[in-house]
Amino acid sequence: MKSTRILLLACLSLLLVVAGCSNTSGSKATESDSIEIKFLHKWPQPEFSPYFDEIVKEFEDQNPTIKVKMEAVADEPMKDKLRVIMGGGDVPDIAFSWSGEFARMFVRSGAALDLTKYLEEDPEWKDSFIQASLQPFESDGKNYGIPLRFNGKFFVYSKEVFDRYNLAEPTTWDEFLVVLETLKTGGEVPIMLGNASPWASIHYLTGLNQKIVEDEVLRKDYNPKSGEFTDSGYIKALEYLKELADNQYFNKNVNSSSHDMASQQFLVGTGAMMYFELEEFPMIEENIPGNWGFFKMPDIKEGKGNQNYITGAPDGFIVSSKTKHPEEAIKFLKFLTSKESAEKLSEQLGWPSPIIGATNKDTALEEVANGVETLKDAEGMAEWLDTDVHAKIADVYLSNIQLLLDGTKSPEEIMKEVQAVAKEVQSEAKS
Amino acid sequence: MRITENIFRIFVLIWFIAYSIAIIYPLIWLAMNGLKSNSEFFLNTWSFPKEPIWGNYVDAWNAGVGKFFFNSLFVTAVSITIIVLLGSMAAYGLSRFKFKGVNVFLVIILSGLMLAPQVSLISLYKMLQIMGIYNTYWALILPYVAFQLPFAIFLMRSYFLAIPKELEESAIIDGCNTWKVYLHIILPMGKPIIIAAALLATMNVWNEFAFALVFIEDSALRTIPVGLMNLRSQLNTNFGVQLAGLAISAVPMIVVFIVFQRSFVRGLSEGGVKG
Amino acid sequence: MKSFQNTKSALFYILPAFLLILTFVFIPIIFNLYYSFYSWSAFNMDGVFVGLKYYIKLFKDPVFYIALKNNSLFAIISILVQVGGGLVIAAVLEDKVIRRWQPVFRTIFFIPSVISIAVVGLLWQLLYNPDIGLINEALRALGQSELAHAWLGDSKTAIYAIVAMSQWQYTGYIVMLFLIAMHKVPGEFYEAATIDGANRIQTFFHITIPQIREMILVGSMITVIGAFKVFDEVYIMTFGGPGRSTEVLGTMLYRAAFRNDEMGYASAIATAIFLITLGLSLLQMRLAKSGKED
Repeated sequence: MKSTRILLLACLSLLLVVAGCSNTSGSKATESDSIEIKFLHKWPQPEFSPYFDEIVKEFEDQNPTIKVKMEAVADEPMKDKLRVIMGGGDVPDIAFSWSGEFARMFVRSGAALDLTKYLEEDPEWKDSFIQASLQPFESDGKNYGIPLRFNGKFFVYSKEVFDRYNLAEPTTWDEFLVVLETLKTGGEVPIMLGNASPWASIHYLTGLNQKIVEDEVLRKDYNPKSGEFTDSGYIKALEYLKELADNQYFNKNVNSSSHDMASQQFLVGTGAMMYFELEEFPMIEENIPGNWGFFKMPDIKEGKGNQNYITGAPDGFIVSSKTKHPEEAIKFLKFLTSKESAEKLSEQLGWPSPIIGATNKDTALEEVANGVETLKDAEGMAEWLDTDVHAKIADVYLSNIQLLLDGTKSPEEIMKEVQAVAKEVQSEAKS
Repeated sequence: MRITENIFRIFVLIWFIAYSIAIIYPLIWLAMNGLKSNSEFFLNTWSFPKEPIWGNYVDAWNAGVGKFFFNSLFVTAVSITIIVLLGSMAAYGLSRFKFKGVNVFLVIILSGLMLAPQVSLISLYKMLQIMGIYNTYWALILPYVAFQLPFAIFLMRSYFLAIPKELEESAIIDGCNTWKVYLHIILPMGKPIIIAAALLATMNVWNEFAFALVFIEDSALRTIPVGLMNLRSQLNTNFGVQLAGLAISAVPMIVVFIVFQRSFVRGLSEGGVKG
Repeated sequence: MKSFQNTKSALFYILPAFLLILTFVFIPIIFNLYYSFYSWSAFNMDGVFVGLKYYIKLFKDPVFYIALKNNSLFAIISILVQVGGGLVIAAVLEDKVIRRWQPVFRTIFFIPSVISIAVVGLLWQLLYNPDIGLINEALRALGQSELAHAWLGDSKTAIYAIVAMSQWQYTGYIVMLFLIAMHKVPGEFYEAATIDGANRIQTFFHITIPQIREMILVGSMITVIGAFKVFDEVYIMTFGGPGRSTEVLGTMLYRAAFRNDEMGYASAIATAIFLITLGLSLLQMRLAKSGKED
């Protein structure tokens, strides 16, 4: 397609003169003595962005020759935006990425820089990470991403409501169902779910797939090259979720309410439980201090998967393979993941850090520190289904799960579609 | 006769007032809920705010609405200036000059009216990158101008055709060139339609969404429509501030329209645009 | 008038606008066609030639038919409400019993169309909310609580909810276009009709409609083409969900390009949008012409 590009350029440059427009792409560094690196993260929220401003400022003070140009896109738009950006001419040197398949997609297309060498060169840096947080960013034994924070998913409950019905934290799925039934009979909404953006229920399915489907099968299926999704466990996982909806354990109209809206309703007192991420714990504490507790997704006895996994994944950064300043980018990442910055991350934002010892009872909320302990004890992590499988398969899951919950589609129908797309993806991955 | 007339009038009034309420009430509700805290919003959605939180509006402005606002203002102002200038020139050229091929130009320009911008989304995304203006204000301004020009030219050309030619003829005899005719006769006489066309283009440019979503990546350059979408996920824990942001963004266009609506209607009704 | 026969100076006026339109409106369409024969993605620009693969895929894709159905639904309802209803509203606004109120009403009716779709979409999302939304609240107040419904959350009603919002937003715009056309109908026509004893309905059908026929054509073209290029509304309110129930060609294109890394497929969808809107425009112009000859 090269010749067309030249042709296009020629006819466009002519036009630019006519239109009297100058090339004003403002992001290129003009001074030769200072280097600019572009840093893209996904926390533009006013409660989070000051932390990043501060880190960047400190880094620039220590390294006066490096300028960090920061950019932030929120979680939901990130999935498409990152693709738009990576295709653009102005690729960020350091970009946010989820772990798993989402990062591997950039690795496959050659957009992500192999970071193994930099980690090997500095064993002290490498060993400062909890190993389970680096592993999800690996592809073919090489490291492509640096984790910034750990994230896990837990059921958060209102202590007041649980006390009223004399309920204890369930550890098995059967106990869980009893708790839900008790709450429902008592006239409570057992679980709040905001599924207008369907990742909310995909997070349930992430855990259910992990607990029900055998580990090896799961690993084979989540790999685009060998995915088939023919195991009956996938149907069973959808049935478990459907059962929760069919028994009216969720609020009504789950597909009309967003996760944010549902969580605000939970915090003002509607519903007994909600499925939250560790990063949301500080917000919960702020709204209902002391009146809440949490537990991990209960074990499923008949499940063939490993019950000791936790749903969650590290969030981190990849370095663009097109970067002109890999050394500077690594320098910044090292600064971002230094023990000092990590402690600050836990203290100021309440986030769980993947740096060993950074998230403890002194730096973070007790619940968050406990959450990290649970993550450390876990044998592994079930990474978000919507970023851990190929984008096309994720798309089928995401759009169909709403129909599962409102009863229009059966688990069998959904899996048939997933299988068809998996086949398509497989043939594309091989060619 | 009188009685039926009166019944008809009352019926129509009730109908139109109901329709007006259906338009205005949601907008007032929006502005009102921008003054509430989260818990008040969820618990008393339909009442007046007990203690209005004016700070929500300030917070929304500072959280980005202010920045988006100026981006929109800049992009719109530059686009409209170019549309009015190039559009009126082309309309003048197409309504006055006679030469071989004038109809070819006319047909090509006017068939631009029928094309959906989405068709060009993917190739423009690539073209702008190759041109090196992707993710700059120009990535929005140039496509906006190009997509708004056909309709502006269509409106202005029909109006210009109806301007009597005698004035121009005597001006030429007095030694004016065509540029002076354009500047001193066509532009002043065509003012009503130019205002109307500019207003229509302003509406479209100010509110454009798909291009702004794909051609701009920098949050510092985002225009209001896409900025608001981002704000939604950014202020996910504060609905009052979100609604205040929406209200702020809606106001300027409503005001501009109300101020200019008379000249807008006049420009379009007087023109040679056939009914 | 020699000065107006100078081709060079004519081109000076016409070319700048013409070149801009050519570059940013027409050339992309040609490139789009070219891109649709290649397999490429946003971060992998060097494509592989795949021939008609994506067009075949398009015809086999069930989502394409859902999108076509939804776009058509958009078109049909918009023609009925905006063009049909808009004509009636405009005619009544021109009627002498209400005429002095016309500026107030036409301004109010027009207001929604000047507000950004981002504002309107996010506002209506709240209005449709089953728990706190105005629509259900109003139904309950009217004693029709069994009609209260999760409008956007139900795959059967979601597309109608979006279409309804679009009518709320754009009907006033079309009304304004019709009013402008009606202003130009000479008053004598109506006076003559009144003397002949024609009533309102008769004058509406025999004078108003034939006299503003061209604007009716413009109005229907705007609404129908608008219906096939709809994107913003769906992207903001549901992004095609629940399931695929509200998918339209525009969101399908966006999803293919920026979610599923199939730029070639997205280009093929764009070509389909192009052909459909072009075909409909030509059809409407033809209809208008044959109407004229009667």
